[in-house]
Amino acid sequence: MSDRMVNDRIVFEDVSKFYGEILGVNRVNLSIPPGITSLVGPNGSGKTTLMNLMTGLVKPTRGRIQVLDYKIDDPENLFRVLGYSTQFDAFPKGLTGFQFVYSYLRLSGRDSGTAEQLAWRAIERVNLVEAAKRKVAGYSKGMRQRIRLAQALSHDPKVLVLDEPLNGLDPLARSEMIALFRSTAAAGCYVIISSHILHEVDVISDQVILLSNGYVVAEGQIQNVRSEIQEQPTQILIRCSRPRELAAKMFEYGHTIEVSIHKDERGLLLKTRDADRFYLALNDLAVNGIEIESIAPADDDVLSVYEYLIGNEEVVR
Amino acid sequence: MRPIIKRIWWEQIKAVIRLEMKKTFFARRGLWIYVVAALPVMLFVAYAIATANQQDRRANIAHQSEKPLAYQDLAAVKPGMTSQEVVAILGKPPITFHWTENRPPETEKGPSIEVLHENYHYSDGQNDLYLDFAGGKVESINIRQGNNMGQDSVMFAGVFQFFFLRLAVFFGCLGIFMNLFRGEILDRSLHFYFLAPIRREVLMAGKFLAGLLATCTIFVTSEILQTVAFLWHFSPSGRDLYLYHNHGLEHAAIYVGVTLLACVGYGAFFLVAGMLFRNPIIPAAAILIWEGINPFLPAVLKQFSVIYYLKSLCPVAIPTPPGMPPLMALLISAADPVAAPIAVLGILAVALVALYVSSLQVRRMEINYTTE
Repeated sequence: MSDRMVNDRIVFEDVSKFYGEILGVNRVNLSIPPGITSLVGPNGSGKTTLMNLMTGLVKPTRGRIQVLDYKIDDPENLFRVLGYSTQFDAFPKGLTGFQFVYSYLRLSGRDSGTAEQLAWRAIERVNLVEAAKRKVAGYSKGMRQRIRLAQALSHDPKVLVLDEPLNGLDPLARSEMIALFRSTAAAGCYVIISSHILHEVDVISDQVILLSNGYVVAEGQIQNVRSEIQEQPTQILIRCSRPRELAAKMFEYGHTIEVSIHKDERGLLLKTRDADRFYLALNDLAVNGIEIESIAPADDDVLSVYEYLIGNEEVVR
Repeated sequence: MRPIIKRIWWEQIKAVIRLEMKKTFFARRGLWIYVVAALPVMLFVAYAIATANQQDRRANIAHQSEKPLAYQDLAAVKPGMTSQEVVAILGKPPITFHWTENRPPETEKGPSIEVLHENYHYSDGQNDLYLDFAGGKVESINIRQGNNMGQDSVMFAGVFQFFFLRLAVFFGCLGIFMNLFRGEILDRSLHFYFLAPIRREVLMAGKFLAGLLATCTIFVTSEILQTVAFLWHFSPSGRDLYLYHNHGLEHAAIYVGVTLLACVGYGAFFLVAGMLFRNPIIPAAAILIWEGINPFLPAVLKQFSVIYYLKSLCPVAIPTPPGMPPLMALLISAADPVAAPIAVLGILAVALVALYVSSLQVRRMEINYTTE
């Protein structure tokens, strides 16, 4: 891999973090490309530790981390390209929402006028203009979440790290925020999100990193991750004209394990040990007169992959 | 040539100071610092009120005297003089009272002896003279001087060194500087700073300067108010004499300077202590003991202390009371004072060492609130 490529990514090289004798994360090797990357795992799996390591809030016990061109022990430069919305729900005392974002921008060395302009723009992006002049101490959980997001976004970072950013938001705010993450990622940014809520992760992620007990158990695009899980049969949903006939034919191929016919007699759910051989067989059958309306994988989403790799502990569907 | 301190760092330091000001000046947990700073002021105000009352009383007594008296008249009375001789010098006493003393018999079976005591109280308006006559002759003379600048400035020096520097400024700096980082950790809000594009050393410098601004404002104000209260009861001519002819103004400026240096020295100590220790009582006790035993330490170790240099800078030496054991006397007077420039440089050097340790520590700091 060339240096240029390495510098375009967020890289973890054999990173471990121990809090005394307690494991945070262990032997993490990652190379995160632009787009939305979701960190998925149960509580205590190491998601927040990974984010805190990425932003230099904690130091690795072993290994090396580089965020684009910057080392994590260089906050002066790192945080010019990185914004982090943490899960820490405490704010400097006595500040209004606007002052919170404005002070952050002044800390970064911006003059008063620029800081004010950027602060209002960020607050507008998270739809918090009306409450901006109120004290943060009086905000609801969702408003606090949004003002943290505004702070993280305020300096137009290239890398946006968001720890459970959808927590406490109502459905409308959730969809607004998801749209915001998407537009940020579409602009070529790196958006790293941790979440428990798997269906949302599924909808927004370009790639996922699955964590369990401090270890990365899988990473990459979800379909690729799914295809790597050989021990679990692939589930495929087929809409067709003669499902029972198709099922019978499929059992003639050795890789089919289980078939369920849909109630409306217009489709079936099939489990196969070898998806590639299944698709070849399906081509043959289609040529021989069975009309296939649609084929869709039924278990290459985050939820299924999560259940196969981690189990169903603390899953929020 | 690249400047040593970038312009943006100054901007960032100013931003940190703006954020910290509210916390250091108006934090509810820091209100006691104002009380500690106000205590010596209240002491001098109380002293000034009491002294003013005494002056009124003396003026009253002097007014009641048969003739105007001067200090030389009061000092002319000698033991053994008869009451007639005293009245001849000072006139009839404005205040008298008498009592009888039953002295034990001179022989075992003899009768007890009754001795008539008379007390005369004179005043020249500034000083009191108390005379005790026994059997018609002066037995004891007590001249209580009123406005004694020398004594008062020694008292001021005592309060400054033993209460203001060692307790008020010491604990005030502890309260403000230890909380600069530790308070944020307890409030779980330190990550706000650590997520900003600011060098940790610049953040530390900003916080230190914010603490310094707060402590200097509070304690220099206290020091100036103490001086005002201290001078309050003097007559205008007495004040002028003290300020412009007896180095009073110079001393006041030195006290302010020593206060500023104390804030720098103790501030730097407590900044680093706040980063190294979770419980402020341990470093506070350790530093307090270290400062307390400073007079007994070898010369090399003495230099790693703030009070060693501050004592050398104080303008008025506190005399050791007669009969005090030598070890105790060491606590009061600086046995081996250093020259003023060396003392100033010494404090700055001690502060710089502490700040250097802080800068190393702040780079190592992690956000891990759950372990706090």
